[in-house]
Amino acid sequence: MSAAAEVALGYEPLAQGAGGEGRLWIAAGGSHVVPAVSALFKSVLLSAVLELKPRKDARLVVLGAEVGALPPRERAGLRAQMAFLPANGGLLSNLNAWENIALPVGYHTPARLAGLAPEVYAMLEQFGADPRSLLARLPEEMTLYERKLAGYVRMRLGRPRLVLAEDPGAGLGAGERARAGEFAGAYLADCPDGTFIQLEDGPDESG
Amino acid sequence: MIGVYRELEGTMRLAAHVLRRFWVLRLPPVAEEFVRQIYFTGASATATIVIRGALVGTLIIAYVIEVLNADVSLAVKILLWVVLREIGPLIAAVLVIQRSGTAVATELALMKISGELASLRHMRIDPQDYLAVPRVLGIALANMALTVYVQFIAVGGGMVLSAVIVNTSLGEMAGSFFLLASPLDLVYSIAKSLLFGAAIGVIACYYGLNPPGNSINAVPKAAISAVTQATMAVMLLNILFAYLVYGSALFGLFTAAQ
Repeated sequence: MSAAAEVALGYEPLAQGAGGEGRLWIAAGGSHVVPAVSALFKSVLLSAVLELKPRKDARLVVLGAEVGALPPRERAGLRAQMAFLPANGGLLSNLNAWENIALPVGYHTPARLAGLAPEVYAMLEQFGADPRSLLARLPEEMTLYERKLAGYVRMRLGRPRLVLAEDPGAGLGAGERARAGEFAGAYLADCPDGTFIQLEDGPDESG
Repeated sequence: MIGVYRELEGTMRLAAHVLRRFWVLRLPPVAEEFVRQIYFTGASATATIVIRGALVGTLIIAYVIEVLNADVSLAVKILLWVVLREIGPLIAAVLVIQRSGTAVATELALMKISGELASLRHMRIDPQDYLAVPRVLGIALANMALTVYVQFIAVGGGMVLSAVIVNTSLGEMAGSFFLLASPLDLVYSIAKSLLFGAAIGVIACYYGLNPPGNSINAVPKAAISAVTQATMAVMLLNILFAYLVYGSALFGLFTAAQ
């Protein structure tokens, strides 16, 4: 077994065949790409990490903590330090971009809402978007890149220590893909002690 | 049978959650949802209420005076009992089930199927807090406001239209109404409409948050279940209220007849 200290995310099955074929051990800090993740392993991993409920036959370490040994209250505290960035941005379809971006801040730390706009504007402009035009639009009126960007900005406002992201460049053209490739760097510039883990899709299993 | 029990238990749990967590309304995003729900259920439904309310009031007065050959006092008494206590809350509830019950169940079921509820959980936002609490409380409050509106339109509009259609004077009807009406009638119908609205909201949210499957077919099924179960709940609550108010009187009549 590997040591848990200095580990951002560790997952290993304790028995053969448990939780798919995957094993993951990522050191804290920096940007990491996990290539060719199978759909099964991704599903098992995300379910275990995002709910902080590892299977009994698997070991899960998040931000240096053995999740299986943590009491529920500490798990909730740990969960607050993590964020997930889905490939489609994970926006709610009945809220415009601003409402989507401000939702978690308004829910968890309402006092921050007053000074949020300049921060959001700066982040959107950093990635080539026009905030005035983007923020009023519903997800259905946005391009895939804009949806990913809105989801990314929302994630960054939470200042998580650990980010799990599905491939930000998936489904984008060359120019937008290059911009989305800068997501990890911009996050790390903001949170130098953070860890950005990008899960790249494996070969198409649909046959 | 197990399915029915599970649905009943789930609905009760959701109702308990709303009661326990109503304070989340102070959070800005939840408050926005609450205001939107009140606007959708209450404000935007008022236009459709006007015609129905006035027609029901006219129909009752015209029927009682012309067909039953009753005097103005009895017609107003029936208007008071039927419209203020029974039909007003029922009409508002049926309208809210038709509009908001279906809309809420469909919206939430679509959110579940498209992964938006999972997105909320990823942001550590409890979907019941963010989606169910403001909808249930918003529908309850809007249903109460609509009920008062229906009563006002049905009684007022009914008396005005009846004065034109039937050979009675508006002043005579209004005088009888204010003589017979009691504030308790209003309290009774407000309590009833709040409970009707809360029941509709809880049931619509429950079926929306728990659609029977993950395919698009689950969406209309969730809406149908919400409408049928909400209608059933409103009817049962109405019977319960009727029993609480008229129960002892009816029981007295029954024993006297024996």
